[in-house]
Amino acid sequence: MNHLLAGKRFLVVLSLVLLAFAPGCGKKEVVKSTDTAEGAGMAAPPAEGAGTEGQIVTETLPPEGTQTAMAEAEAGVAATMEKPSEFPDIHFDFDQSFIREDARPTLQMVADYLKATTGASILIEGHCDERGTAEYNLALGERRAESTKSYLVSLGVKPGALSTVSFGEEKPVDPGHDEAAWEKNRRAHFVRK
Amino acid sequence: MPVALPDFVVTTGDASLARGFPETIGGDLGMTSLFDVIPRQAHLERIVPEHFGGRPLSFPDWKIIGAEAVVIGKVEIRGDLMTVEMRLYDATLGNMMVGKKYAGPVRQFRKIAHKFSNEVLYAFTGVRGIFDTEIAFSARPEKGRGKEIYIIGLDGRELRQVTDNRSFNLFPRWSPDATGLAYTSYRTGVPQIYLLNLSTGKDRLLQQYGNSKSPGSFSPSGDSLYATLSVKGNSDIYRMSLTGSAVQKVAGGWGIEVSPSVSPDGKSVAFVSNRSGSPQIYVKKIDSSDERRLSQAGNYSTSPSWSPVGDRIAFTSLKEGRYSIYTVRPDGSDQRLAVSGDGDCVDPSFSPDGRYLVYTLRKNGYSELKIGSVDGRWQRGLFKGLPAVGSPSWSPRQ
Repeated sequence: MNHLLAGKRFLVVLSLVLLAFAPGCGKKEVVKSTDTAEGAGMAAPPAEGAGTEGQIVTETLPPEGTQTAMAEAEAGVAATMEKPSEFPDIHFDFDQSFIREDARPTLQMVADYLKATTGASILIEGHCDERGTAEYNLALGERRAESTKSYLVSLGVKPGALSTVSFGEEKPVDPGHDEAAWEKNRRAHFVRK
Repeated sequence: MPVALPDFVVTTGDASLARGFPETIGGDLGMTSLFDVIPRQAHLERIVPEHFGGRPLSFPDWKIIGAEAVVIGKVEIRGDLMTVEMRLYDATLGNMMVGKKYAGPVRQFRKIAHKFSNEVLYAFTGVRGIFDTEIAFSARPEKGRGKEIYIIGLDGRELRQVTDNRSFNLFPRWSPDATGLAYTSYRTGVPQIYLLNLSTGKDRLLQQYGNSKSPGSFSPSGDSLYATLSVKGNSDIYRMSLTGSAVQKVAGGWGIEVSPSVSPDGKSVAFVSNRSGSPQIYVKKIDSSDERRLSQAGNYSTSPSWSPVGDRIAFTSLKEGRYSIYTVRPDGSDQRLAVSGDGDCVDPSFSPDGRYLVYTLRKNGYSELKIGSVDGRWQRGLFKGLPAVGSPSWSPRQ
């Protein structure tokens, strides 16, 4: 309501200013218009002297609306789908990227497979639960994937056999919204390439 | 301020615009709590073409129903194009305060109406309006599991989808002239930043260097983008040239550094770092080592948004199990709660006049976009028509 009062006060002040600066009130008008017929009409002295001050200013809008960027790509569509894996996911604590004790057997399994199979390579996906901010989670997922990669390298896997990508909070494996779902969604997922 | 918005005169073409214009302007003015729209049933005078050709309004007829301001308009349509003349009268003094004529496409009639709403607000308060601004955000389309970028008007109308590649498209950020968006897309399978030209629908990959990338904010001049970029799992804040390929680290460390938001003078950047053990907001003077922590509240503070007016920084913070939005002065003083609600309030983005915030309300997988005043006095819904709406970004003035 303070705003309203302020607005009214402005109105009074502004009106006074307009009055003060309108020469020969209601007699003379400045008309700036691209439409000449209109302009002529405007310039005619108004009846009763209850006039119009000010001028008509013309503004032209650019013709375009907004266009949609079309760029459907197979890899992009595929990125939204959960890819099958013969390895279980490993899991992380909230807002953490260190490798937990319970992840070690799985990582040993992945390392053994990669070391035993010539030419094999794996994409490590880092994922987060829905809590927190999506941008932060994108970086956190990246860190989880990288920390998984470093651990595999420490087990003797060649870095060239590993690549990483973060999906942040975009691809929950469990759609729930409780701690049980979040625990499943804080994960690294292994995709054979 | 009681304002009358009689039906516009439509001399040729779609007669529904007679009502469409005053309704759009009335909706805008009603949002401010400065104006009350007088119901049209009370109007005594009908607007005719002659009112634009010298015949004065019958001001006593407007004063008697309580109107202090009257907005009239005349629309001429030729094919897809139209000309609209709009006038604001002070009913008490009987003078014209604003007169404008707009030429533009018929389908953009709301944009033209919003522009005149700005004129009306300015005439009475001296404050530049934001009624023609828009909000970009990401959401899941009805069909599909990806996310696309959408834009919606401040009045919740004119929703449109601006990406269509069925992967994840995230974190839209407006260019300073509001003609383009930077955003992250997984269209090639990995998160890269693209620049979208909204008038052509064409976009281009911004930068190859690094892994995960997300745009933060454009420099005020629009020649570079502050963004988060991950190299070997370590994400830091970089400045990327939009004209060349130059990439320069602005802030970083061993921790996670994300979400840069640049001050309006272009000299400082607010960002998130977890170097203290949990994510917190920091401010750094660009090209210097002067860096300090801003957020004190909560153990998880993210998503800084620097007000375009420069006086405050908004961010999300977790307290007692719930995310709320706070604002603080850039020097770290005067931290205040701006928005909290029944659920998590996240991802604040300032309006161009620094008076409002758009944010996401999330609860158990449900999410909607809301707008609230920075002083925390009111909030209202903006959009909830799609699943997984989030990352709203308020456009500059257009």
